[in-house]
Amino acid sequence: MTSTVSVHLPEGAPPSGPAEQKAPSRWLTIGRMAATIWSNPKAKIGVIILGVFVLTAIFAPLLAPYGGSENGFERNADASWAHWMGTTAAGEDVLSQLIYGARISVLVGVVAGVLSTLIAVGIGLSWGYMKGFGGEVVGFVVNLFLVIPGLPLMIVIAAYLQNGGILVIMAVIVVTGWAWGARVLRSQTQSLRSRDFVTAARFSGESSGRIVFREILPNMTSLITGSFFGAATSAILAEAGLEFLGLGDSSIVSWGTILYWAQNSNALLTGQWILLFAPGLCIALLAMSLTLINFGVDAVGNPRLREGGAKKAKEARACALELKETRSVSATPAPSRPAGSDQRATGTEDES
Amino acid sequence: MSTSNDVRDDVLLDVRDLSVVYESAGAEPVQAVDHVSFQLRRGEFVGLVGESGSGKSTLGYALTRLQKPPARTNGGSILFDGADVQGLGTEALRQQRQGGFAMVLQSGMNALNPVRTIRNHFVDVFKAHGHVPRDQWHSRAVELVSKVELDPSVLARFPGELSGGMRQRVSIALALSLEPQLMVFDEPTTALDVLVQHAVMDTIIALQRSEGFTAVLISHDLGIVLESAQRVLVMHEGRIVEDGASADVLENPQDDYTRMLLSHYADPRAEVVSLPGFEDRSIRHARGERRVDTTTSVPTVSTRGQRVAQQPIVVSGVTKTYAPPRRGDEPVRAVRDVSFSLEPGRSLALVGQSGSGKSTIAKLVTGVERPTSGSVTFGDTDVTKLRGRALRSFRSDVQMVFQDPYAALNPLHTVEYTLTRPVVNFTGLTGQEARRRVLELLETVGLTPVEQFAAKLPHQLSGGQRQRVVIARALASDPQVIIADEPVSMLDVSLRAGVLALLEDLREQWGVSLLYITHDLLSARLITDDIMVLNQGAVVERGGTAEVLQRPTDPYTITLLDAVPNPRRSLATGGAR
Repeated sequence: MTSTVSVHLPEGAPPSGPAEQKAPSRWLTIGRMAATIWSNPKAKIGVIILGVFVLTAIFAPLLAPYGGSENGFERNADASWAHWMGTTAAGEDVLSQLIYGARISVLVGVVAGVLSTLIAVGIGLSWGYMKGFGGEVVGFVVNLFLVIPGLPLMIVIAAYLQNGGILVIMAVIVVTGWAWGARVLRSQTQSLRSRDFVTAARFSGESSGRIVFREILPNMTSLITGSFFGAATSAILAEAGLEFLGLGDSSIVSWGTILYWAQNSNALLTGQWILLFAPGLCIALLAMSLTLINFGVDAVGNPRLREGGAKKAKEARACALELKETRSVSATPAPSRPAGSDQRATGTEDES
Repeated sequence: MSTSNDVRDDVLLDVRDLSVVYESAGAEPVQAVDHVSFQLRRGEFVGLVGESGSGKSTLGYALTRLQKPPARTNGGSILFDGADVQGLGTEALRQQRQGGFAMVLQSGMNALNPVRTIRNHFVDVFKAHGHVPRDQWHSRAVELVSKVELDPSVLARFPGELSGGMRQRVSIALALSLEPQLMVFDEPTTALDVLVQHAVMDTIIALQRSEGFTAVLISHDLGIVLESAQRVLVMHEGRIVEDGASADVLENPQDDYTRMLLSHYADPRAEVVSLPGFEDRSIRHARGERRVDTTTSVPTVSTRGQRVAQQPIVVSGVTKTYAPPRRGDEPVRAVRDVSFSLEPGRSLALVGQSGSGKSTIAKLVTGVERPTSGSVTFGDTDVTKLRGRALRSFRSDVQMVFQDPYAALNPLHTVEYTLTRPVVNFTGLTGQEARRRVLELLETVGLTPVEQFAAKLPHQLSGGQRQRVVIARALASDPQVIIADEPVSMLDVSLRAGVLALLEDLREQWGVSLLYITHDLLSARLITDDIMVLNQGAVVERGGTAEVLQRPTDPYTITLLDAVPNPRRSLATGGAR
């Protein structure tokens, strides 16, 4: 993957400094990845928005003027200096609720995102590497989860496990959310397993597990990262959706429950549009920030997308052609990603 | 060569002091083309030769204004028909493509839109430029495809229905449709099969004669260029180091680099075949000398005693049939009733064009695929029945060297990791002992200083160095047999000899037997004792390599031999074909 860019190194490049002579540290790789994401303007905006939300969530007790579920203020008050966004029908401060609500959304995004990505990686990789009957069985199960519409399934499960709290909500999201990622990772695994270096690893006497996790997996880092951000986005949206429908624990403070109570108390009719607008905007912004970051993650896996624009992409190819001569460019097959990300031009433009 | 004295009027393209630099963020700028000057006369056929990274394609892109950032022209001018190309705007440039310059790319055959018929591709060009009246579209398209020796019926077909060679011909016809004065061919045949390459090259030469356009043929293969072009420019590290008529370059090369390139060509049919680092095999063997006795060139092989108890690989009556690609098609018979044995310490060449079944045989011999019928044995082991642990121990004896050194190494692992794995898996060494063995392997394949190479990642190595790592990995288990599948076909000519020499030394000093799969008869002649010629899965000719290549009896072998580019032979038969 990284080789596509690095062939620009002149042949017989002088040995790099002693620091680089060591085995390439994992941190170095991650650092390079972060730098690439940061260099993409869209991703930079996404990182900034996400950063604001994460900091808000962490320092909520310091930032919020009142406690999240502290009530007893005047009910249905309009915006004032004491309550910048007014108060709810139950007499809680809306701004404080919004700030505390970020905690739930960020937490659900991270935990549910990580868990469903882990499941997707485990199943996707073994499914992609397996051949024959085992693969068929896994395929059947994954397809089952893919065909069942996600939201209705979630509603049914959540309704069945009534009022189980945030953990149950996260479990529901994870169970219904891993299948798409697994499918994507499986196709990439299948494409990688036919590469020469995988065959070579088999000739080196490597076991299947080692081939999957040491040879194939590290080559999919950007795809997995993208898959994580996609899963986190849908987890945040699903959590808000379930809370809004009243299927979660309606006593906790989250953006979804603010919406739920606002809807219950007909906030729109009483002119308190901000009760619906503010949490909705926060959900949208947080989801958007993750999607924007995914643009940058794309560039990690596909160097042609770096510095943006099809012009550069073509140039990269011309350059690669020039340097590689007889070989077809072994660029990463463009990683396909979960919903919520852009369709890119895959560099198939005709040059003649 | 023109006899006109009025040079100014005769010059189509005048390149003066052209420099192109690659500037990408976070990397040192690379001066790909460095103060290059040359002139092209009308109707001239010029070859531009250089190895990977010499800047020849960059120059080609600059000439046709197809270059894009981060490549940037940082000096000099290109005058096309007296006008500076650099100043042209996008629209002027588009119009210039008609009756101006066109380019045929190496991957041109893949640039066709798979869901549009060939006819539509022509119509698109006619529409865009409006130079052909609507009622003549059909006749013009037919005329163009006939020029590239295709049947007019291809117009109704989709790109996917055509072979690679046919598609490349279509892309040449498309370029021709604008009646360019200058055609730049960038490695037009490199991605094609050997025999097809030859036919497409012949078409290009004939076209250039009949249409009279000026042609620039960019290629890494000096042999092909000398056979077809009237004049040759040799590029090395961004500079043109040689510029002269083909015959002169061949007879009397001025530059050391050109001389080096030329020294790597020979006729595999000759009585005596010698290349740098390789004295003729039969002479050497007659004297009982080894390669390293007669040459001082790399690589070094660490001395190890010859192995005892070696076993032959015996393949008898093997057939491999694949299921038909589409329902109703005939099943694919990749290998038909092939038998041979590879004795310990011998080397056997399997030659044939792509699709001849040679790579399938490699898969059968290594147990990657199982034959439909027939048997493959290694000593007492039946290779066709191996599974799991037994297959693993079999592979410690039979190892493989892959064709593409760029694909065969995991880009994320250091050389040391790549080599440590088989050492740990097969020899049971660990820690410092394993490391010592890895360094020893690196020394064996001539990658010194070993400590430095061990820490490198694949992208920090050149193609030849990567292939040496691949060979080192194959050696890690101390195998008895190495199967090398086109190990040098992806490498530059100057690097090939080194890798071949390494294989030869390993065989001579370690007693490793070698199954060498190739389409390149010259390399087969250099390093193998015996040869088997495969055509469509069946053996058509076999025998001692030198014997077969000097006195081929099968017409297919003769066709293969004719396809080997050989500048000297073409000169002997009266200059460019």
